[in-house]
Amino acid sequence: MRYLCFAFLIFLSIHWCEAQGDSKNMDLTFTDATRLEVLEKIEKSSGYRFYLVSQWLGQDRISGSYRNTSLAIILEDIFKDTVINYFILDNRTIILTRNTVVRDQLHPSFYEDTLTEREGPTEVNRPLSHVHFEEKQSEQGNIETVRIGKERKSIRSKTFTLSGYAREKATGKPIQNLAIIVKGGTLGVSTDNNGFYTIKLPVGVNLLQTQGIALETQEKRVIMYNNGQLDFSLGESVEQLDEVVVEVNRKRNVEKVVTGVVEIDIAEIKNIPLVLGERDILKTAITLPGISNAGEGAAGYNVRGGGTDQNLILLDNAVLYNPSHFFGIFSALNPFTTGGVTIYKGSIPAEYGGRLSSVFDITTKDANTQKFAGEASIGPVTSNLTLEMPIVKGKSGILLGGRSTYSNWILNSLDDESLQNSKASFFDIIAKYNDRIDEKNSISATAYYSRDAFSITSDSVFNYSNRLVSLKWGHRLNEKNSANVSLSNSEYGFGIDFEGDSNGNFDLGYRINETELKLNMLKLFGKSHRISYGLSSKLYLVDPGDIEPVGDQSIIEPLSLQREKGLESALFVSDNISVNKKLSFDIGLRYSLYFAMGESSQRIYEAGLPKSEGTLLEVQEFGNNEIIKTYGGPEGRLSGRYFLTPSFSVKASYNNTLQYIHTLSSNTTVSPLDTWKLSDINIEPQRANQVSLGLFKNLNDDAYELSLESYYKRSKNILDYKVGAQLLLNESIETEVLQGEGKAYGVELLLKKKDGRLNGWLGYTYSRSFIKLDSEFPEEQINNGEYFPANYDRPHDFSLVSNYKLTKRFSLSANFVYQTGRPFTFPIGTYFLDGAEYALFSERNKFRIPDFYRLDLSFNVEGNHKIKKFAHSFWNISVYNVLGRNNPFSVFFVTEDGSLQAYQSSIFAIPVPTITYNFRF
Amino acid sequence: MNSAINVLWEHPKYGKFVFALFWIFLILEGCTEPFSPEIPASEGLLVVDATITNELKNHQIFLSRSTQGEPEPLAESNAMVRIVDDNQQQFTFMEISPGTYESSIMFAAEPNRSYRLLITTSSGREYASTPLLLPQVTEIEDIYIERTTSQSGLNGVGIFVNSFDSTGNSIYYKYEYEETYRVIAPRWFPQELVITSENPLIVEEVGRVGQRVCYATQKSNNLILTNTSGVGEDRISDFNVRFLSNNNYIISHRYSILVKQFVLSRQVFEFYEKLQDFSGSESLFSESQPGFIVGNIAPQDGGNDQVVGIFDVSSVSEKRVFFNYSDFFPDEDLPPFAEDCPFKTRFAPEFGELASLIRQNLISFNSENEDRNPFANEGPWDVQPRVCGDCTALGTETIPDFWEE
Repeated sequence: MRYLCFAFLIFLSIHWCEAQGDSKNMDLTFTDATRLEVLEKIEKSSGYRFYLVSQWLGQDRISGSYRNTSLAIILEDIFKDTVINYFILDNRTIILTRNTVVRDQLHPSFYEDTLTEREGPTEVNRPLSHVHFEEKQSEQGNIETVRIGKERKSIRSKTFTLSGYAREKATGKPIQNLAIIVKGGTLGVSTDNNGFYTIKLPVGVNLLQTQGIALETQEKRVIMYNNGQLDFSLGESVEQLDEVVVEVNRKRNVEKVVTGVVEIDIAEIKNIPLVLGERDILKTAITLPGISNAGEGAAGYNVRGGGTDQNLILLDNAVLYNPSHFFGIFSALNPFTTGGVTIYKGSIPAEYGGRLSSVFDITTKDANTQKFAGEASIGPVTSNLTLEMPIVKGKSGILLGGRSTYSNWILNSLDDESLQNSKASFFDIIAKYNDRIDEKNSISATAYYSRDAFSITSDSVFNYSNRLVSLKWGHRLNEKNSANVSLSNSEYGFGIDFEGDSNGNFDLGYRINETELKLNMLKLFGKSHRISYGLSSKLYLVDPGDIEPVGDQSIIEPLSLQREKGLESALFVSDNISVNKKLSFDIGLRYSLYFAMGESSQRIYEAGLPKSEGTLLEVQEFGNNEIIKTYGGPEGRLSGRYFLTPSFSVKASYNNTLQYIHTLSSNTTVSPLDTWKLSDINIEPQRANQVSLGLFKNLNDDAYELSLESYYKRSKNILDYKVGAQLLLNESIETEVLQGEGKAYGVELLLKKKDGRLNGWLGYTYSRSFIKLDSEFPEEQINNGEYFPANYDRPHDFSLVSNYKLTKRFSLSANFVYQTGRPFTFPIGTYFLDGAEYALFSERNKFRIPDFYRLDLSFNVEGNHKIKKFAHSFWNISVYNVLGRNNPFSVFFVTEDGSLQAYQSSIFAIPVPTITYNFRF
Repeated sequence: MNSAINVLWEHPKYGKFVFALFWIFLILEGCTEPFSPEIPASEGLLVVDATITNELKNHQIFLSRSTQGEPEPLAESNAMVRIVDDNQQQFTFMEISPGTYESSIMFAAEPNRSYRLLITTSSGREYASTPLLLPQVTEIEDIYIERTTSQSGLNGVGIFVNSFDSTGNSIYYKYEYEETYRVIAPRWFPQELVITSENPLIVEEVGRVGQRVCYATQKSNNLILTNTSGVGEDRISDFNVRFLSNNNYIISHRYSILVKQFVLSRQVFEFYEKLQDFSGSESLFSESQPGFIVGNIAPQDGGNDQVVGIFDVSSVSEKRVFFNYSDFFPDEDLPPFAEDCPFKTRFAPEFGELASLIRQNLISFNSENEDRNPFANEGPWDVQPRVCGDCTALGTETIPDFWEE
């Protein structure tokens, strides 16, 4: 009976009914026998011959006792918990099938038959994958085959749903963002935060492949017979540890429907050269096209020609107002606890809103729920420790991370008296709890706090801090519907304590607090719709500044600017529509509504005249929660993708956004003294429209990704300031600001190689960004009311990030960055007033500071990977700015002794070497 | 390379603090260095420096053109300058030296009267200011001098102002000062060297009486501004208008300062504030958005060129104080002199060189060169830098009218 069996699936299906009727009754008893033994028993007693492959039956032991029972029922019982089907061909022959057949001979004409059959109305199964199967087998050799579900004749569906979890083999931790793709097709899915995925697969054979960072790539041949579950348990991939890869998914480059998305996983940037030993996911982001900052040591990011206040930076769904430490030299994100970041710079999903240019969606890693783990690093400026502790094994865990500088200690131990009095320190701590309560419910909670403090001379201490808390509950209602509810609260504030010897001692503070409740539903609607909808509401409370005298001598009058209150709500819905294999759309609509609310006094100015004390008409009083002003509007988020060839797609998008909160900054770069201001009766929300078009191509079997994107953006009510505006503690801020128009466009080119000994990416952006501040009154005009380059307009931006693996343990990396110098207002002459010489400034931003370029190198040594070793170590030796380029960060002019002198300043003017030691246990 | 990063933080209402934030070693090797941007050629703009006050005097207005880094202002000559009040009374100004225009009659700005400045340049361009009212007069309550330490830790004396406006309307203040001090030449001798004949060249030692005690006067050349809009009452208390280090020679032999307190209109104050803002020290991490500071003068003939500067009508009050070095530093050595004049600075140039130095007025007599060494080309007299023995290098011998002992 050990024949190789030829199963002709089409025939099987057709003959199913008739076969069932013919079986005869028999007696049978078996105890603790393998199925093979049972079948042998049946063969003996009935005379039937089974045609099967014995390995299919496994070694499970079963028991049963039957009396005058039809063979059909017995077989049904025997194969109840398996995927085996039987077919009683005639009185002597029973063919067992596992739905598809391992076969090495088949007449070519047979394919034609089967294909023809498949087109027919009675089609149930799809042996078409045969073709695929055989090709793959010859290439790949051993691939595990998994049968999903049991065939039922009643099921006529063409697709079935496969779902399951992906976990790490060693730790059992869910793997997020693991790409599971169908080889040779366009289908694919990535796992969610819980490692869960669900995908619709066509009936028949599908070759699934997993792709994740630092994880082994698994391939499984999945044969779909019904809905079912398949879990992946993936080991670490030693080879992939050294890679620099930006996107998780190989196909995502060409496949993703939305344009302008950047995803970075912290593990991918391990080998990038460091500054002062800090791995920094946001600094890596600015090496990608379309994202830049004003320069080294500048906080804030400019995305596609947008201002630094136009980015929604989310850490586990809560807004992080100041993502930087120490004036932007370090980012405020702990590299060990950060999982990854997705940056939407083109088409922003409808669930997000409130900022014009981009969303930085940063997620924290889930804690290891299997065993205690930790990671630590020792660098020249900071040290970092992260611990992961399971609470309920396999279900819940807590992650704790802390990072701190020891610069205070260094400063205090110096002999120089003036340095001893200085202080500069920062720290951040984060805790995240995640709990997979059951298959349907999961919760996570994050708490984060960061603080910077520095004193500059002995008489002032300056500090700023971020605090955020977020809670999230994920609930799967059923296979097609799931919901997420999140509640978050963030607070950012800064303070200055000034204690000199004069009578002007004070304490100054600023604070913004926001609380958001958001409900997000996801509904799978048939094969081709994926609908996401929900609503969110956010309450802002801003204390724009207060000042208190310090000491009895101080004549500072206590002043507290009135609190600002605003409520921003939105309804959103989006649908990911697959029109056909080639064409997909992502259509989103968001309606946002903003209420400026009392209690407040609002100044009303004469219409059509510049706002100033002279044109102030009246002050209107509003009671608590009384609506002062309502703004709102629909926001469209549309994008589409069309495959020109399977590896070449074209995408287009349109996006419009509204922003009700604005940064006030009189500096050309971001400073921690910047304050956020809510829209009110005098300051209107900012609005932007963006269209983009992109071409995406994967080359050489997905080894290279190439993309070319272009965009054009117009914005309105962009905040800018009158010359020399005074913004802090100003009660009538509207008299200092101007609202103008913005215009930005650019082309972004990115070439990425993800695998191989040499990997990395090369990006080039040509972009422009302009602002126009026009008015009929000269005092409200800048540059005669014509468009001028924005402070962050840097037309050419080139980045090369590369990594070369020497061996499995040693690798070399290099970064090279070139950017056009940013625009600057130069003095074009001098003049004398009252005997002193002053600079006569050019039109705003008419000139540029010299171009920026920098080369960084690093050498990485990976500890060996012996399992028994206590800890895995990792050394990084970096040299930042190898060329010692004195890149001017700013240029300024000082009237010294009555004559004018220009100065340029730079931050890292010499090569900066760093050694960092990391270990993981 | 400079490892200290100077951070300036400009606080809008409570003064300006320049702090140095220090970072160490290689961590932050920040670097600030002089820099020469390439400035493209451009046409000079009209620069107006015009302040009239409630003082009865011949007011002066200065017109110039912006330059591209010239050390001296480029005077704007032959313009027609006049001030018109709201009563149509006109005060004409005559050019008394290039770019300096003086009112032909003495006048004082009066309360509740508005004034406009009108300028017609020699090329026929017409400019006018917006009308300005004279702010109210607030008298300086008190000026006092006190030993103090500067923000950067230097020892010295400070000149402080107290002022109070019970009506609360003054708010915006600007200060100017004029300091006058006595200078005594430290190595003065009753002889001087004179060229009595050019051909043949004869230098003679003759007696003299003067050039030992002089008086020098300097005006403030920086903007000193303060305002009371953030404090409870319109009171200026202990405002430091001038700091003098105890190493500054000008306080050695009696010093006097005349402090002028101007009450400005808000618009004028803001103009000066921006001017001050843009010319102050800047930092690595913070910089204000610089730009053209719009004043209150604009072309009247449809041109769109900009005018630098402002027409300022302000009220002024002034007070003078005197002090001696010993009042504050009773048993301490005098500050070092303007130039180093120890004994060894004398030298004995040979004849031709001596004559050249005398002609250029660079030296003063020290002594006769008694142990003269002809091989070293020494001349018959030891001389020293002029300032060591001749105070007119620093001031004039006339005692000012206001001087009190």
